[in-house]
Amino acid sequence: MKTVHPSIIIGAYNWDQTRLPRDEFQIRGRDLERAMDENGWKAIFVYGDADEHSTLAYCTGFVPRVRWALALLPREGEPRLLASMSSRDVPAMKLMTWIPDVVSGWQWQAAFDPWIAGLKGDAPIGVGTIGFERMQPRLLRAVEKSIGDFIRLAPAKGFEGASRALRPRELSLLRESCAVVKSAAAAMVKAWQSGAGAEAAVLEGERSARALAAQDVRTLVSLDGGRTLVPFRGEFKPEGDALVAHVAVKVMGYWAELFVSAAKDPGAYPQVQRALDALKAAARPGQVGEDLHAAAVRVLGTRALHPVLTASVGRRVGLSLDEGCGLTAESAAPMTPGSVYSLHVGLRDEKGGALASAMVVVGARGIEVLCESKDALAL
Amino acid sequence: MTSDPRIQAMVAYLEGQGCEAMLAVNNGQNLFLDPNVVFVFSGVRPIGEGAVLIERSGRTTLVVTPAWDAERVAAASRTELTLACDDLAQGIEEVLGKARVNGARVVTLGLETVFERTARAITNLLGGSRPAPQGFASRIARVRNAQEIAAGRKAAWIAERGYERMLEVARPGMREYELAAELYCHMKGLGAEDNFLLMSASQHNLAVCAAGHRRLDAGDIILSEITPCYQGQFVQICRTTVLGEPSPVLKEKYPVLQAAMKRGQAAAVPGTKVREVAEAINGVFRAAGYGKYCQPPYMRVRGHGLGITSDLPGDIAGDSEVVLEEGMVFVMHPNQYLPETGYLMCGEPVVITPRGAQSLSAREAELDFIPLEALAA
Repeated sequence: MKTVHPSIIIGAYNWDQTRLPRDEFQIRGRDLERAMDENGWKAIFVYGDADEHSTLAYCTGFVPRVRWALALLPREGEPRLLASMSSRDVPAMKLMTWIPDVVSGWQWQAAFDPWIAGLKGDAPIGVGTIGFERMQPRLLRAVEKSIGDFIRLAPAKGFEGASRALRPRELSLLRESCAVVKSAAAAMVKAWQSGAGAEAAVLEGERSARALAAQDVRTLVSLDGGRTLVPFRGEFKPEGDALVAHVAVKVMGYWAELFVSAAKDPGAYPQVQRALDALKAAARPGQVGEDLHAAAVRVLGTRALHPVLTASVGRRVGLSLDEGCGLTAESAAPMTPGSVYSLHVGLRDEKGGALASAMVVVGARGIEVLCESKDALAL
Repeated sequence: MTSDPRIQAMVAYLEGQGCEAMLAVNNGQNLFLDPNVVFVFSGVRPIGEGAVLIERSGRTTLVVTPAWDAERVAAASRTELTLACDDLAQGIEEVLGKARVNGARVVTLGLETVFERTARAITNLLGGSRPAPQGFASRIARVRNAQEIAAGRKAAWIAERGYERMLEVARPGMREYELAAELYCHMKGLGAEDNFLLMSASQHNLAVCAAGHRRLDAGDIILSEITPCYQGQFVQICRTTVLGEPSPVLKEKYPVLQAAMKRGQAAAVPGTKVREVAEAINGVFRAAGYGKYCQPPYMRVRGHGLGITSDLPGDIAGDSEVVLEEGMVFVMHPNQYLPETGYLMCGEPVVITPRGAQSLSAREAELDFIPLEALAA
């Protein structure tokens, strides 16, 4: 679930080597090296921006707080990371990544051109690219101007978030993220039950998550009893009959999310919860998206999924809130061990709506629920 | 005919160029130093990529992503029509078709800000790229209207309450991110929908940066760049706060920054070039013996425009030929590294008036401190 993108990501992002040691990035880099060897590439360029940076963060640990960053990862030689920040900001940027050579991308020719000149080989030299489809045209033109006929770019396939299984240390981080999102959701419900309006309750959840060192917090809230969800407005209308909201938190780079539905009149919530339970029961390795979708909507009968879910009952979550593998009526992608999904179901009518979700990890034989909406109601 | 002067200016441009429509697009990432052209012409900050189609008749249509955001944007938009969809290029195609606009006679604005794949799809749709002059939207929106200045004043009020909150809660042992979280949420609770908040502390700062895991300590100098956004209007205050009694040298040097600020404000009258304002500020530092520090990395610029309406007058720097106009809003900040004290911050959001740059803050920056004795008590 996305909300209005903030002007800067304010959380604390220093690279914690006790949790993600250098060898983690050596392990992650092996697939890149293999791709370079197989394709005869001398380097891979990985692009990410403040909104989506899953593969950039995976390869480098770096998260652009604003604008963009570009990692230049050679098969031989030293990597360089260009961040779209001023040179004054570079010392702070260096604390976020294992790459020692971080430079401002604002001096493009001084930052990019000398590095590519160091690539050895006969022109045109092959270089793989990741994330370039999100690059802004003016930056792409700058890249093309710099490389001229010397380098030939080719998209590197198979590096999407959905292609990665989480290893134990990564899953440990995601479990922490789930603990924080559960705490945030519970804080929302508690505030609402204490008389706060929906927006005030959601802000209390955000405050709780940020105090627990969440690096990012995104929220949506309903101001019409769950019929629609909207980004923060700051209107702080008084207490209503229902709290329907979404909260996503990022901890140590990994996202977790939950929907929260609490109401004086349960309305559609029991049916939504039954559908979520059916979805969880159907989830297992090898199960394909269309079957999971069918398991959930069967419980909803003739009623359509809540529009905010965009016809999907889940997707993979990790270094991005959307790592792909959407669980839609047309999805043939199977669940695979080591992947984490956000499963979600929702309904609405003219009076309001309800949404519920669960974060689950797919194991060898089944799933484990990491956290779910009803946890927030129980705490 | 529309009464919005910015749409009228756009229509006049289209008539002059013999074009049928303008398509203003943005990728949904809100940079507080840049204009968001979709916001400028609709009053809406979309969640994803968005566009506004402005026809020569003055009719406007907002196209946003994702589709589920339809009701919010329809209620908030100043445009006559809205369309929410999950693919911006497809949405634009639908809107162009309904408006019977010939894509080959459409000028674009901000196409260089969207994702490459979207830009390519839109260019194909229009049968080529016909960009408006660089900075066109910024020039149209360079002077804030009364409603925007009022929102800016409210944002400045929020910023000052945020700073007061910092004075209340900052104490040794607290982590930077905890303090930043407290400020951020406090200002959000006062209505700030966004906040470009930088806040860091050290005993001899080299610059301000985003809050980290470091614990505050007695004697720290907390630097804060508090930048809330209210109804699309960013403002910024820059503050320097000592955790404990400030050193004599700090008390001696901070007034240099305050004097530079006053000099800059007095110089910034309508008709003045921005470089003259920067020069007035730098002159104070030179007179105090810090001329060689009036360059990066000891400072960056003496202020800058504020998005997301218009980034003009741009950076307050010695090479800017931009001429100030009444009603322009920007932050003026003679933030400066001094060898004796480290980096210090002092800055206010200002609006240009005939008497100079009037601060939107009620209380201008001073060297504040948080007495440790009071915390102990």
